[in-house]
Amino acid sequence: MPLEQPILLTNIPTPPWGDFADRKTLSYADYTKAGGYAALEQAVGMAPKDILEVVKAAELRGRGGAGFPAGMKWSFLPPQDGGQRFLAINCDESEPATFKDQVLTEFDPHIVIEGIAICMIACQLDTAYYYIRGEYHHHREIFENAIREAYDNGVFGEGSRIGKVNDRWPNLYLQRGAGAYICGEETALLESLEGKRGWPRIKPPFPAVAGAFGRPTIINNVETLATVPPVLTHGADWFKSFGKGRPEGAPPNVPASFGTKLFGVSGPVKRPGVYEEHLGVTLKTLVEDYGQGMLPGKNYKAAFHGGISMGILDTDEYEAEMDFDIGKKYNNLGLGTACPTIIPHDVSMVAMARNCARFYSHESCGQCTPCREGGNWLYKILTRIEQGDGTMKDLDMLLEIASSMGSMPGTTICGLADGANWAVRTIVNKFWSEFEDAVSKERFVSISAVG
Amino acid sequence: MAWITKNSATMQIDRRDEPYLTAEIKADFEQRMFPRYPTKQACTIPLLHAIQDLHNWLPYQAIEEAAEFLELPASTVLDTATFYEEFFLEPRGRYTIWVCQSVSCEIMGHNKLVEKLSEKLGIGPHETTDDGRFTLMNVECIGACGGAPCALVNHKLHENLTADNVEQILDGLE
Ligand SMILES: Cc1cc2nc3c(=O)[nH]c(=O)nc-3n(C[C@H](O)[C@H](O)[C@H](O)COP(=O)(O)O)c2cc1C
Ligand code: SF4
Ligand code: FES
Repeated sequence: MPLEQPILLTNIPTPPWGDFADRKTLSYADYTKAGGYAALEQAVGMAPKDILEVVKAAELRGRGGAGFPAGMKWSFLPPQDGGQRFLAINCDESEPATFKDQVLTEFDPHIVIEGIAICMIACQLDTAYYYIRGEYHHHREIFENAIREAYDNGVFGEGSRIGKVNDRWPNLYLQRGAGAYICGEETALLESLEGKRGWPRIKPPFPAVAGAFGRPTIINNVETLATVPPVLTHGADWFKSFGKGRPEGAPPNVPASFGTKLFGVSGPVKRPGVYEEHLGVTLKTLVEDYGQGMLPGKNYKAAFHGGISMGILDTDEYEAEMDFDIGKKYNNLGLGTACPTIIPHDVSMVAMARNCARFYSHESCGQCTPCREGGNWLYKILTRIEQGDGTMKDLDMLLEIASSMGSMPGTTICGLADGANWAVRTIVNKFWSEFEDAVSKERFVSISAVG
Repeated sequence: MAWITKNSATMQIDRRDEPYLTAEIKADFEQRMFPRYPTKQACTIPLLHAIQDLHNWLPYQAIEEAAEFLELPASTVLDTATFYEEFFLEPRGRYTIWVCQSVSCEIMGHNKLVEKLSEKLGIGPHETTDDGRFTLMNVECIGACGGAPCALVNHKLHENLTADNVEQILDGLE
């Protein structure tokens, strides 16, 4: 059943409820008039652990890519010791084809700020940094202004309605990135925040224990935090009435797909954009109903369904449900950012694989050999194949290099290499015949050599 | 960008008397920025942005001044500066054109933009025109994929670009 009312995009005109053209930034006054900051009032009157319980009971999973349960992450924090504790909000949004957090940042910054404030109460964090990617210039100005409004209205700073946390008045600061995909990885983000190059840290220690400046730190995605105010207002059961729910027959400890999700649809569709739907909506619905179908003369061939790092959906996986179990069901890494890019029939999958490999070879931070060298080799081999100089052996080598890369095979520090692995491997496997055709020249060569 | 090698210690640094790190920036950081973080080092990236916003690039002398101000070795600040794609350690054009080359933009025809731009400006990616007006950058996803293909010209985002409208945008710049 299609979503009747949006939750996150209540104030952001979005089809079918509204028109993209009517989107404008909500000020503090607009947001409060629409009922905003009531959840914060409620949170101020609650014991922090009760807020945490609501988020846990709602089974809210992270919207930044990995789908880690937010309530569980928050409960990893050690007991307070009087020192500073931090929140880092991840608005690095650099995964190719992903453009959902910017919509919240640009048009409804206060729903995000309210979520931040509630998280700071629930987790007893006194200082928050909004890490926004360097290229979001316009968004940065808007968010900076929204932060100022929040200070002027007593959300943060001296005399904040939150009260003192760890004996300090709570603060929210904006931090501008400087053009590095890897800084979206949570520990690289912390290094960058500390003024260093964005080199992911070896875990443990986990950030909840020793994060920014060696202190307990929570890192959450923008969309995750923006979901917190409606969850608190309406309760866990209400939130769990949305979405796909738990896989059939699974016991209650299996992580589930509750709630709605932002889906950023791009590629050759008639109406690309960021939409909201139940978790579990099919890719086909996103393309045909929300995106209004493919552009004339274009047919669906495949999709990067959640940013390129999750791999690819095949031509016959057009009706895949976009929920947290998509990885298991359709042989990819997972839901990722849930921003599908549609690949039409006339775009070469070799070109797409080459594009991904170039991305990873360029964005690798260089710490781990399999990632730094493997990414470069994938790019070189795919370029060679695309130019018609590849051989059958290259295809085997591609798969071998790709599958050896990543924190899942146990060879690298962070998940960037897993992205390279899954992107390249699923494209080659699912579109093997295209790759075979691209290297088929070799067959003629060998036949003539035999002759 | 981690493996860009730097000139050795024998390199000559161009110097001028007037500091790049102005008194205004220093005052602003002392009052507004230092209290935000437990360490001064955490101000490295904001400070480099502030200097680059003023001068359009980061001369080595500016890196040294930033390091002195933050009480860090110059090499530490240089290490950070060289890691991030947005920091320019060489002069660049008055306008930097950042063309997205990631998947959505490639699917929607970013090639035509780059061809048009290269032809019109007479430079390839990562080069600057002789008159110092334009620097062309091929970059990865800039988070505007719904409007692919797209590009930033300095801080301004342009979406749904074609060979034609990209030419108009260039013509509209001084
Ligand atoms: C290479 C890499 C890049 C990432 N980039 C982002 C990003 O741009 N934004 C984001 O929210 N999470 C990103 N993540 C995931 C973060 O590490 C982290 O899991 C997430 O911010 C946690 O927030 P959540 O639990 O609310 O989803 C990235 C992870 C990796 C491995
Ligand atoms: S996997 Fe790649 S990006 Fe991640 S830490 Fe290692 S080299 Fe850096
Ligand atoms: S792919 Fe070009 S802006 Fe995202």
